[in-house]
Amino acid sequence: MDAQKVDMFIMSNTKFFEAHQIMAIRERLLTMDDSKWHMISTVQFKDPTTSLIVSLLGGSLGIDRFIIGDTGLGVGKLLTCGGFGIWTIIDWFMIQGATREKNMQKLQQFLY
Amino acid sequence: MITSRNKLYTILFIACIAGYIWLYLSMYNNQSEINSLNTCFIKHTTNIPCPSCGSTRSVISLLHGNFNTALYINPLGFVIVLIMLFAPLWMILDFTTKRKTLFDFYNKIEHHLKKPHYAISLVLLVIANWIWNITKGL
Repeated sequence: MDAQKVDMFIMSNTKFFEAHQIMAIRERLLTMDDSKWHMISTVQFKDPTTSLIVSLLGGSLGIDRFIIGDTGLGVGKLLTCGGFGIWTIIDWFMIQGATREKNMQKLQQFLY
Repeated sequence: MITSRNKLYTILFIACIAGYIWLYLSMYNNQSEINSLNTCFIKHTTNIPCPSCGSTRSVISLLHGNFNTALYINPLGFVIVLIMLFAPLWMILDFTTKRKTLFDFYNKIEHHLKKPHYAISLVLLVIANWIWNITKGL
């Protein structure tokens, strides 16, 4: 794929991924066929900041987990009042990483 | 989406253990002590009960055989009792036979729950339960 396109993609999507994944994504995109560009450039990612805000406000109800697509964990969090409040607090710190992990999973479907 | 079988089973195992310890503590400790140790974050800060407030009391009354009381306090208690009873058994069964039926089941349920008509109706149920909780004044 064209280096310019890849760099554009990386620049506009850096915040959606873990820092250590960026280089691997770039390498992978460079070796890929140009025909996949349309698919990759239109993938919708979840914003880690949004999920952090949701986690701070609705973490006790598990809404943050529902939003990033962890429905099962969300139900668990809802049923236990946010894991007796402990899981809620843990997730304030974990949810951004979890969101980036989700984004990576989503992109991986197109990369491999 | 949890990607591996063992990760899901670890989380479920820890959750079940924590649940049983919590149940043991609340059954054999002084009731007033438990009430003062308000666990729910929402209730603690806003004084409004959350959708799953009262589920401990519901589970305890279920264990005493009072189905109507359990239903009145919080219907979610039934869901919790079912999960706490069947999840450990199912996990043991999976571990002994080296299969991943529970993991597949979990993924299937998660897939179904993401469909809008199921999701919206369940969200409405939870909200209805929440309103009921507030009017009951748990």
